[in-house]
Amino acid sequence: MDKKELFTSAIKDNESFIYKIASVYTNTVEDRNDLVQEIIYQLWKSFDSFNQQASLSTWMYRVALNVSLYQLKLSKKRISTIPIDEQVLNNSETDNSENDEAWKLFKQQIDNLNLLDKAIVMLYFDNKSYDEIAEIIGISKSNVGTKLLRIKEKLKSQINKTK
Amino acid sequence: MELDDLKNTWHNRSEQAKQQNVTFQLIDQMTRDKYHSKIKRIAYPEIVGSVICIVAAIFIGLNFNQLDTLFLQGVGVLSIFVLMTLSVLSFWSLKHLQMTNDFNMPYSETLKRLATQKVKFYKLQKVNMTLCYLLLVTTIILLSKFFSGKDITDSKFFWTFSFSFGYIFLLFFSKFVTWFYKDTLRKSEELLQELQS
Repeated sequence: MDKKELFTSAIKDNESFIYKIASVYTNTVEDRNDLVQEIIYQLWKSFDSFNQQASLSTWMYRVALNVSLYQLKLSKKRISTIPIDEQVLNNSETDNSENDEAWKLFKQQIDNLNLLDKAIVMLYFDNKSYDEIAEIIGISKSNVGTKLLRIKEKLKSQINKTK
Repeated sequence: MELDDLKNTWHNRSEQAKQQNVTFQLIDQMTRDKYHSKIKRIAYPEIVGSVICIVAAIFIGLNFNQLDTLFLQGVGVLSIFVLMTLSVLSFWSLKHLQMTNDFNMPYSETLKRLATQKVKFYKLQKVNMTLCYLLLVTTIILLSKFFSGKDITDSKFFWTFSFSFGYIFLLFFSKFVTWFYKDTLRKSEELLQELQS
């Protein structure tokens, strides 16, 4: 299997998380598509530097979250974006996420968390173990447990308030 | 909506992701170098700004012989100094940004770096804006001399306006920056504390 095939296969295995992360960190379909592109591009660029110390999936989660942070910073500077190929983007416009009420409610709750908690809870929802979350985020396993408890309490309290 | 509902919504989103079907085309374009990072685009306005500063400094240098008094020559030297300082600051911040742009590091490390960068940014903005105001005054003096041959500083209104406007501008600007600076510093401290707890 050559590098491109290996990379494509790795992306296919993790693309739902990339897409979901991009959806959480952006507010429009265009911004989300831009972020998905940027994450995949940065993953491709760093693919050679990936060392086998972490699993491929852990490394991809880490890069995806970091790129999202930088993109968030850039979006505040209002950098205009240029689509790489209209045809490629047109394929993605079948998306109806803006009308998705459940997702809107999800975003409302998640957006109230700070950037650290937001990342931890996304990994938790994605069924990552405490060890994996600790490795991706760069905090201790016990810290992950403590933070998740607090995040769950905060989310519960937020949900109760909106009832 | 309960916590479990949030988790279900997150999982349901995966189905939508699978319908996107853009990955193969994206990777194909990227591997053929047809894609350019948007993150790098942050550098463009900085580079354009630096080039303008350097061109302006060269223009002043080439027309330096038109500055016939010691005062105007001083203003000319000061303008070149400020223009070059602004270019250096711009390139320095770009280099710093490129150095810290490592996406392989843990997320918490990226958060820390961005928080520190933000605090540095506001400090730099204070210096930047003060220099820009100084440059505005010196540019008016020099442009008036270069293009109409007059020394605008002979007019007492020029100095009255420059100082009063400058004072008001710097007062409001420093209050504005200080407010943002304090807010950023507080948020950064909270974040760093949270990462350590």
